This record gives sequence, structure tokens and C-alpha cells, in this order.
Amino acid sequence: MDQGWADPRKLSQASAKARNLRARALESLAENLGHHPDRLAIVGESALANYFALAGIARGTSTFIHSAIDRKEVFAFASTCKAPVEQPVDRLGHIQFPTPPIDTPETLVALQGANIETGTIQPLEKILTVLTRAKIALDFTSSPTLPLPSRWSTVAYNAHSWQGPEGIGLIAIAQPQLWTNPLPHLGPERVPESFSLPLLLAAAVALEHWIVEEKQEHERIRQLSKLLRQSLSTRIKDCDIAGDPDSSLPHISSISFLYVHGEEILRQLELQGFSVDSGSACSADNLQPSHVLAAMGVLTHGNIRVTLHHGVQEKDLLGLVEAITTAVSTLRLQ
Amino acid sequence: MKEVNCIGKRCPQPIIDIAKEVAQLEMGEDIVLLADDPATLPDLRAWARMTGNAVTVESATRFLVTRQNQS
Repeated sequence: MDQGWADPRKLSQASAKARNLRARALESLAENLGHHPDRLAIVGESALANYFALAGIARGTSTFIHSAIDRKEVFAFASTCKAPVEQPVDRLGHIQFPTPPIDTPETLVALQGANIETGTIQPLEKILTVLTRAKIALDFTSSPTLPLPSRWSTVAYNAHSWQGPEGIGLIAIAQPQLWTNPLPHLGPERVPESFSLPLLLAAAVALEHWIVEEKQEHERIRQLSKLLRQSLSTRIKDCDIAGDPDSSLPHISSISFLYVHGEEILRQLELQGFSVDSGSACSADNLQPSHVLAAMGVLTHGNIRVTLHHGVQEKDLLGLVEAITTAVSTLRLQ
Repeated sequence: MKEVNCIGKRCPQPIIDIAKEVAQLEMGEDIVLLADDPATLPDLRAWARMTGNAVTVESATRFLVTRQNQS
């Protein structure tokens, strides 16, 4: 960090050190994400990664297709397109395409690797058997180490998804010759290169650590996730668990409880020392229910979203189950 | 037909209110729910699936609920 403060575009010795650090960080990120360093572009605002991954290959696009459970950034991009097509999902959250789908070289399709709210993993290779010509923009912002499918045009990543810092987004570009910087620009830069070098270094180091931990923890977290789902569905009547546990990110569980305010469950759990999230309307800034849960047909009120981080122990999880059970039964009596 | 008016009530109150009323109905009997909370439609459908009852959407704020579950 103490050597990476200088502007890497200048000629000074400090700048040369910064350039060197930037190149090493890029190489590390590229290697761990499965790309060539030349194919990675960095943006200094992680929410912009989705926009660039779509807009950078949108030239000549006649139809933009996305799913009902995409991130809001994808919906925002769709709002700038002429007649975008929104595909529904089934109860498990898998995207449903018509037969045959719109599939031309002028079609741009946004595909999630996995959903950040429910953990649902899309069967990308299966989807690509029916989408053989369209441009494919993958959203891996919640699932950096899912296997890349055999064909893609761009991939968006967010360093926060591997416990890295906020403020670093990455875009992998399969064919740089087909890429166009979607913002007004004068030089050859693919994206504005105004990211923080210290944050990029932190993102690279965080990914190196996260991958090692993930290899060690993946199966244990999967078993804890199963235990969480089984315990809650056994102990609490009328709970609705989102997604397919066999094809989901193991660290994410989304569970809704009938007749209970999601925000109230969060408050009760907070008092017991557990911090979870919610997709319920009563806990959202705009008072709208989660579009993901609604699209999947999952109960949107009384929702909690549990993320199991590396290092969580079974006793912690059993304590959480106890706290949720108490909170739901208490709230249902009120 | 009996109506439950939940206009202006936030989630999950419309679902709590309709569930109490449906429990008093005979099998196959209908009741109307009036509600304008944006979570009503997805939650009413999820509630119907979870409890074994039926819902027909009559308009954006009017829903016909039919008791189909004995419990």
C-alpha cells in the first residue's frame, strides 16, 4: 500500500512502482477469475460493472433480453433499450425462455450466474444450448468462482462478493475488438480508468484469500445451510424457503414466514446479536417487496436473508435457529 | 358477498386479516379482499399455495378468495 499511491500513468519512479503493482494485481485477479489480464477492465464503482458489461457490447443490438430476477442495474439498462424483453422465472428461480427463443447475433442477453437474494444458480450451459448466436453478458457479481460457461461475451464481477472492498468492479471481455466504451471518450480506454489503486490491490489480495478459504469451507457451509433450512422448516409452521437447495449458492438462504413483519424479525434477531437481511417491503427503502421473491412466487413478507460467512460454526447456526423460532412465534402471538 | 377492506394497510396485515376471515368460511365459500399494498398480489398467491386456498384476481385492488382447505 505504501508504494501504490502514485499515478501509474506518470513517468516518475513512484509511478513506475504503482504501475508494477497494478499489473501484478491485474494478473492475480485475472488468474483467479480464469481470464487473461488483457481481457479485464476495472471500474471504480462496482455498481457500474453491470452497466459496462451490457453497454460495452450493445452496439448493433436490436433486442435486449433479461430475467425478472436480475439486479436493478440490469433493469435500469433495460429502461434505456427499445422494447426490452423480460423473461419470467419458475418457482426455483430458473429463467424460462420461449421455444424457440429470440436468438440472433443482434440479440443481447443478460444472464445471472447466481442470484444474490436467493442463491439460485442458473443452469448456464443448458441455457446456452438454446441461445447459440446471441451476445451473452454474464452477471457474476454475486458468484465470482462459478464455472464459466463455454460461450460468453462479457462477465461482470464485484470485489465485494469475495469480501473485497466496495468500489471495485471488473469486466471480463471475450472479444475486445467488439467492445465499445459506452461513455464519451477521446482516447483508446475501454472504460474510465479512475479506480483507486489501493482498493484494486486490496481486491486482488482479498480474492487470493477468499479462494483458499472457499475451497476449505464450501462443503461445510453447504451442510450448515442444509441444517438451517431443515431446522426452520421442521420447527416453524408456514415457512417458505426460496430456491432449490441443490442448485444454490450454499452461503445464501432466503426464508419467509407467514403472518410476520420481516422488519420485526430483523429487530428481534438484532437484539439476540444476529445480523441478517430482508427482502420484505416493510424493510425496504421504497416499501416495495423484493422483485426477486415476487417473480419466483415466494412469500415476500416475513422474509429474512441469511448469509453464512466463512468461519460460521454449527453452534452459531443453532443459536440463530433458536432465535428465529422464538422471534416468529412471539410475533405471531401479537 | 362479504368483503375485507384492507385499503391503506401495509404488508402483511392484508394477509393476516384475510386468513382470519377465511378460517370462518364454509368450504367452497368466497370472500373479497380489497387491498392496495404492492405486496398483496404476490403474497396472496404465495399464501394460497401454502394454505391450499384459491385466489382470483378481479382487479389491481380486488381479489376473490375461495376457501378450499379444511384446516
